[in-house]
Amino acid sequence: MIGDMTLGRYSNTDSILHRTDPRVKLILYVIYLVAIFMITDPLALIALAIVTLVLIFMSNTGLKMIWLTVKPVLPLALFIVVINLFTIRTGRVLFNKGFICISDEGISRAVLMGMRLIFLIMITSIFLTLTTTPLKISDALESLFSWLKVIRFPVHEMAMMMSIALRFIPTLSDETKKIMNAQMSRGADYDTGGFIKRIKGYITVLVPLFVSSFNRAEDLACAMDARCYRGGVGRTKLNPLKIRRADIVIGIVLALLAASLVITDRILGQVLI
Amino acid sequence: MPQLTDDKRIIVDKVSFSYKSDDVSDSRPDKKALDGITLNIEKGSYTAVTGPNGSGKSTLAKLIDILEMPDEGRIVVFGKDTSSDRSFWDIRRKCSIIFQNPDNQIVGTTVEEDVAFGPENLGVPTDELRKRVDKALKDVGLYEYRERPSSALSGGQKQKLAIAGALAMHPDILIMDESTSMLDPHSRQEVLDIVEAMRIRDDLTLITITHDMTEAARCDRILVIKDGRVALEGTPAEVFSEKEKIDEMSLVMPVEYSFAYRLAELSGGTLSMEDLKDRESLKTACARELKKITPGSIKESPFEKKAEKDEVILQVKDLSYSYDDGKTYALEGIDLDVHKGEILVIAGRSGCGKTTLITHFNGILKAQKGSVTVNGIDSSDKKNVMKIRQKVGLVFQYPEYQLFDETVYKDICFGLKRWGVPENEYRERVNKACEMTGFKTTNLEKSPFELSGGQQRRAAIAGVLVMQPDILVMDEPGAGLDPAGRKAMFDMISRLRDSGVTVIIVSHNMDDSAIVADRVCYMRRGKIVKVGKPEEMFCGAENEFNIPRPYITEFALETASLAGIGDYDSCGDFTPEGEALALASYYAGGDHHDR
Repeated sequence: MIGDMTLGRYSNTDSILHRTDPRVKLILYVIYLVAIFMITDPLALIALAIVTLVLIFMSNTGLKMIWLTVKPVLPLALFIVVINLFTIRTGRVLFNKGFICISDEGISRAVLMGMRLIFLIMITSIFLTLTTTPLKISDALESLFSWLKVIRFPVHEMAMMMSIALRFIPTLSDETKKIMNAQMSRGADYDTGGFIKRIKGYITVLVPLFVSSFNRAEDLACAMDARCYRGGVGRTKLNPLKIRRADIVIGIVLALLAASLVITDRILGQVLI
Repeated sequence: MPQLTDDKRIIVDKVSFSYKSDDVSDSRPDKKALDGITLNIEKGSYTAVTGPNGSGKSTLAKLIDILEMPDEGRIVVFGKDTSSDRSFWDIRRKCSIIFQNPDNQIVGTTVEEDVAFGPENLGVPTDELRKRVDKALKDVGLYEYRERPSSALSGGQKQKLAIAGALAMHPDILIMDESTSMLDPHSRQEVLDIVEAMRIRDDLTLITITHDMTEAARCDRILVIKDGRVALEGTPAEVFSEKEKIDEMSLVMPVEYSFAYRLAELSGGTLSMEDLKDRESLKTACARELKKITPGSIKESPFEKKAEKDEVILQVKDLSYSYDDGKTYALEGIDLDVHKGEILVIAGRSGCGKTTLITHFNGILKAQKGSVTVNGIDSSDKKNVMKIRQKVGLVFQYPEYQLFDETVYKDICFGLKRWGVPENEYRERVNKACEMTGFKTTNLEKSPFELSGGQQRRAAIAGVLVMQPDILVMDEPGAGLDPAGRKAMFDMISRLRDSGVTVIIVSHNMDDSAIVADRVCYMRRGKIVKVGKPEEMFCGAENEFNIPRPYITEFALETASLAGIGDYDSCGDFTPEGEALALASYYAGGDHHDR
């Protein structure tokens, strides 16, 4: 359910990763994304899993929190695995009956794809959502992309929009629950019936949610005006981003770790061939 | 008329304002929110702006902070004209507004980031910013929460956060725009105490826009606005001495004033301006008037006891519920019988488990432990879901947010369709539901989003009543309504009970609900503290479980003890007039005159 999503829910536990400069984390995040998509060797994948575990440990958020972020994606991961399993027919055929054909390459490919998605989610939560407040993420984006201001790209405004969107996710998810309860009390049923019927049923939630979001937006704009908001010019920050030596060290160490994973993968790949 | 350059006043001079409709096809003339209003507010004063919903009170706040510009007239804030470009930022940075809805004014994801938002916009340097934020958070008592996500705060805490955000801007003027109307009485008191203390300390000009008269009575000066003009102004004593005018404007007196007037009527005395000054002098005057009453002049027990009902229609047995797998319990071992045809009020502070409890009544939440049965049918049983939901209508807080269909008529019919009620019955059922709620049937073909807030709420309630439930459960039915709206709501609830519907009301505010309640169930931290008739719950100075009383009962008890009858243990019907009569008749009946 929407309310169970931990997306955008900051985990308020202190750790080295929490204290790391968000720009460093953002860059590391991109590096790890690339690494995840480059690694194909099973041994390297195991190494990646170990590194991820170390990162989880560094982030001090606990395995349960990570599980909560991974759990909602599992059906999708399973779906990807199944699709790959049945559509890839290259390699040695292990099983062939009617239109079902499973090959060894299909299996390894399917597992790899499923793993990638899960790693992706875990890395996102470790570097971004769980350890970095949305406002810091948008600060980091604003800072990293500030050169775009030269071509008049509204960097500050985009960052502000993003942080407000993230700020309102918990509020709107609570509201969604309330509206669904109210409609269910009037006989609405969101759990049974076919796909189309369910989508249609959600109109009773979406319309009120939209209307209230517009009202909220109007109120919020007024409140921001009253608090003297006038865009990014001349704004100061309570917690300005400051690069410390520790940030650079963590950045370099973790980046090298990712690089070594990729290199290991390449070497292992060559050895096997 | 003071000089417009006066830098010790906020001067509003013949100001008119109307909201322009964005819809070009809308040919209705723009409604004037303010119509040539003239007033002035002294620097450092504490002023209440009050009046019925739609009287233009909130517009005034927006005009002072230049969030809107007047169509006609001038506004001068401490010698600076709001229409001048040069003074624009000067005025706006010196004037802060706390708005009504706690959620819709929080920008920051964490508490401290939100407090910093305003001063960040002003370009305050970082080290100074840190000092301001920490100080503001300590002032409102949220310092411990500074790194928490702002969305995880309670409603009262969110308003305190908004106050901290305002204080961090070092304002001269603080405007509270209905800021306490969505809070429970306890949080409301806390918020008012904070801003009043800050006003004294920082010499703020405090303007509170409210339709709560008891809140208005705390101020130095009251401005009553009606139809876009000042209809009445003066000190609380001056305003509340104009009883006829107040009644005429369909405003209500603060309950303690109504109480005092009724008491003076019974004693044959009069109340002087000095008596009406504030709560304390009013209490002294009430005690004085009470002592004038001669024995036997008023008949004993003017209130008939409500008839007992004892047929159980809904039964809760040993119900427990936890949102976090048993770490904490939102409900713990609840046992409760609801009697057929009664009005049961479930009371308690925000977060005590009231809403979780009623969400079990129609099976939206399934009992984790224990059971809820309606007429012997288990509400957790999947087979009975539709039957239960037809029998038990649930109206959540702010039900107007559930409206979705193109027309009100279609929206009200939503449930009928779901239950397969024959279509030829629709019209009659809808009309009946509208009649019950007081929804104007001429509005049935309109879009629900065109209606006023009050009409929207009625439409939403009609959408539940149209199912003709045996039990109607309402969560905070009076929330956000002005006194006239609230009275209409509670009259409707009484009518429903009289037509045979069992009504369960959830409320954090006892003032309205004690009047209509047949029984009250008080909850605290997921448990039931006590269930009983209102008089058993609230009467007498003794209060074993420390259950909050209606404001007027509290006042009557204080008056009684001031008049030397601290053992007063009776009460009336919980209206101010009723309580005055009950106290007077108790005094007349006993032998208190020797003391």
